[in-house]
Amino acid sequence: MATRVEQPHVPAWQRGKVASWLVTVDHKRIGILYIGTAGLFFAISGFLALLIRTQLTNPDNTIITGNSYNEVVTMHGTGMVFFVMVPVLAGLGNFMVPLQIGAADMAFPRLNALSYWFYACAGLVFCTSFLASGGASNTGWTAYPPLSLEAVGNGQDLWILSIHILTLSSALSAINFIVTIHNMRARGMSWMRVPLFVWSVEVYAWLLLLVLPVLSAGLTMLLLERQFPETFHFFRPEGTDQGGSPVLFQHVFWFFGHPEVYIMILPVFGIISEVLPVFARKPIFGYKAVAFSTVAIGFFSMLVWAHHMFAVGMPTFLNIWFMLASMVIAVPTGMKIFNWLATLWRGNISLDTPMLFCLGFLSVFTIGGLSGIYLAAFPVDWQVTDTYFVVAHFHYVLFGGSMLGLLGGLYYWWPKMFGRLLSERLGRWSFFFIFIGFNVTFFPQHLLGLLGMPRRIYTYRHDGLWEAYNITSSVGSYIMGVGFLLFLLAIVKSVNGRRAGNDPWQGDTLEWYTTSPPPPHNFDDVPYVTSARPLYDLRRRLREAESS
Amino acid sequence: MPPTVRPKLLVIAGVLVTPLVTAATALAGNGGFAPVAPESPNAHAIKQSYLFISLFAFAIFLLVEGLLIAFVIRYRRKKRPREADGAQIHGASKLELAWTAGPVLILAVIATFVFVKLPTIQDVPASAATSQNLVVDVIGTQFTWQFRYPNGVVTIDRMRAPEGRTVELHITSPDWDVIHSWWIPALGGKMDAIPGKLNKTWFKATRVGVFQGQCAELCGLYHAKMLAAVEVMPAAEFDSWYEERRAQQEAGTSPLGEELWDGTCAKCHGLEGEGGYGPRIAGTTLIKNTQSIEALLRKGGILMPPVGRDWTTDEMNALTDYLKEHVGNQG
Repeated sequence: MATRVEQPHVPAWQRGKVASWLVTVDHKRIGILYIGTAGLFFAISGFLALLIRTQLTNPDNTIITGNSYNEVVTMHGTGMVFFVMVPVLAGLGNFMVPLQIGAADMAFPRLNALSYWFYACAGLVFCTSFLASGGASNTGWTAYPPLSLEAVGNGQDLWILSIHILTLSSALSAINFIVTIHNMRARGMSWMRVPLFVWSVEVYAWLLLLVLPVLSAGLTMLLLERQFPETFHFFRPEGTDQGGSPVLFQHVFWFFGHPEVYIMILPVFGIISEVLPVFARKPIFGYKAVAFSTVAIGFFSMLVWAHHMFAVGMPTFLNIWFMLASMVIAVPTGMKIFNWLATLWRGNISLDTPMLFCLGFLSVFTIGGLSGIYLAAFPVDWQVTDTYFVVAHFHYVLFGGSMLGLLGGLYYWWPKMFGRLLSERLGRWSFFFIFIGFNVTFFPQHLLGLLGMPRRIYTYRHDGLWEAYNITSSVGSYIMGVGFLLFLLAIVKSVNGRRAGNDPWQGDTLEWYTTSPPPPHNFDDVPYVTSARPLYDLRRRLREAESS
Repeated sequence: MPPTVRPKLLVIAGVLVTPLVTAATALAGNGGFAPVAPESPNAHAIKQSYLFISLFAFAIFLLVEGLLIAFVIRYRRKKRPREADGAQIHGASKLELAWTAGPVLILAVIATFVFVKLPTIQDVPASAATSQNLVVDVIGTQFTWQFRYPNGVVTIDRMRAPEGRTVELHITSPDWDVIHSWWIPALGGKMDAIPGKLNKTWFKATRVGVFQGQCAELCGLYHAKMLAAVEVMPAAEFDSWYEERRAQQEAGTSPLGEELWDGTCAKCHGLEGEGGYGPRIAGTTLIKNTQSIEALLRKGGILMPPVGRDWTTDEMNALTDYLKEHVGNQG
């Protein structure tokens, strides 16, 4: 079934080393651009995180104070959510989805490039906002009015602008993913044979498409009210006849904001569902349950937003609804955890670095899921919301969950992307530093929250336990920092790393069928897909052919 | 499998088990493993709910982490070839049904427990003939708390309350201000102070003491310094303080001026008025001019919020007197 691929004519000026990347519409190169840019933003936002932890090593530090601290907290959160996690997953999806479904590229390659360049522009605006009059935005990544209406200078406006551009980027790439997955699957790849990572990207894309416009609308309202306070009164209650409601913004924001959490973690669930079977040499336990629970989580994630707002004084029946709906999400999430565990059962487990990161994910994401139950029960939430307990909870989900799983995915797919393996030795060291550092950083923060420490404060009470847990947390963050430096070192050294070959891990999905890195057109031919594990089937048929 | 992996597994196990061991030991002294010691029925019921959820969370935690570690140890590769197949099991519907139904059941039990406790947490106990509820208006502004009592008494950042009597809190923030969140951990959960919205919560302190808390919603520059305290006094002592404070306030001898200075002005202008985020005001002529200072407080400046817009005459007089006496004369 070899297909002849016509090489398109490339003008001379586009052939240079830099120019070819600037004009590329190849999904693989765009994926790498996404991941690289997200890496840069991870360095920036991670540095801000270390600044936060350094400031909090003791109650009276003056490394950064007051206003700068609020800027740092805001930009750390915004950076990690909007400029690291969502785009890096878009990047990985970009590289892997066409390969996993046996396609030559995304459905709309030029739109794909446009999405990336929108992201890059948004990032540029985000970075320049540090230089704005009055400094960067300092009202938290949630930008609640009236505080965000009052924020002095243009930092807040640039913040809004950067996210506006970013939502365009994400919406376009979401459309691209959906069209690609629906129309470009290899022959034989019915929906029940689609790789689980692709399933998760499908739900990720639908969620982006459904909730991003709501965020854009909310931010547009915020921008209008900031710029024309005499004309627009959406959120400021001033004036009895035409007053707005600050709570309205919270509803709009969290209608986007809660699904956003799943946007950041569903593709990582997908990574886990790819890596565990390969390194346990087993099929995923309960393919259908894992696939459908992804859809269920996506659906329910849009019905639970106000559990972020239990303290605003909602009517009891709403509190009860949002509590029960939030608890319902725990069910498909729990299913996934047990299915993953069962995938390990009676396997042949190799503890290579990708597997270590994914097992690390399983162990800490469980903690993040369990602490979520406390937050769903609204009377308990009244005690722990807006404290370090919440900070610990969402870092267990988004760092211990998303980030560890992502690092596992990068280690797993790096050889496919660049043709070289990352060092196992450095990978293990990096894993242990990050895993231990992570727990040392964030576990004590649960306790700080229960002791009464609110989030987003630059100085805190003189109290033995508060000080002890804070300094422990800061030490943990430096251990994590070392882990990431080791990860970076592994990436740098991989330039001369061991060659990977087509299929270093004996993977089950189509991306391992082609060369590493794949040629521009990805596949010379694609085998007919007979199950969710086409390469496993292929290897078995080869073995049978050899023995007979 | 090379033998070096075994100690690393132990490291993972160690990291996971250490918090558990510390948890068990610290739970006795509660080093932050549960909400702070409750001193009001609502806070008490919240803590009970927390502990009830913890029973299940802890059990599930042990189950999942235990299985994870056991499977990794038991089914690791050892001397098998890397590409050797594990057991090719594609699923088991009954098992999967069990771990879907199990969590549903657990969550139903948790929800039921919370709903049973809810009235104790949420409903304000009705006033009794012997013990009338005390209603206090709690007003959050950048970056201070005002407490207004029914008889006109105003205090700043430190609320006085009688022991054993229900205190109803009517919490809000002025239209021109931002969102804050009222929280004294020992006396119950948070309630946001939102401009244009009136929220209610309550407490009934079970013992005498001073209970600390602070604003829990990012409200700007000095959010971290927006502290609050509730001083619970024996009922009789509270009653005499309450009357005495009113008399003092009317006579202009109460410490209200100083409280307003510390809570409202000093955070930006410095404790001595020497300047900080805001300009130096000690010794300036403006400070001594009661009319212009009142105008500034009620209207606000370029960066200064109109902190005094909703102040009572008592409050305004108390502060302007204090300014004249203590800040205006400093060189």
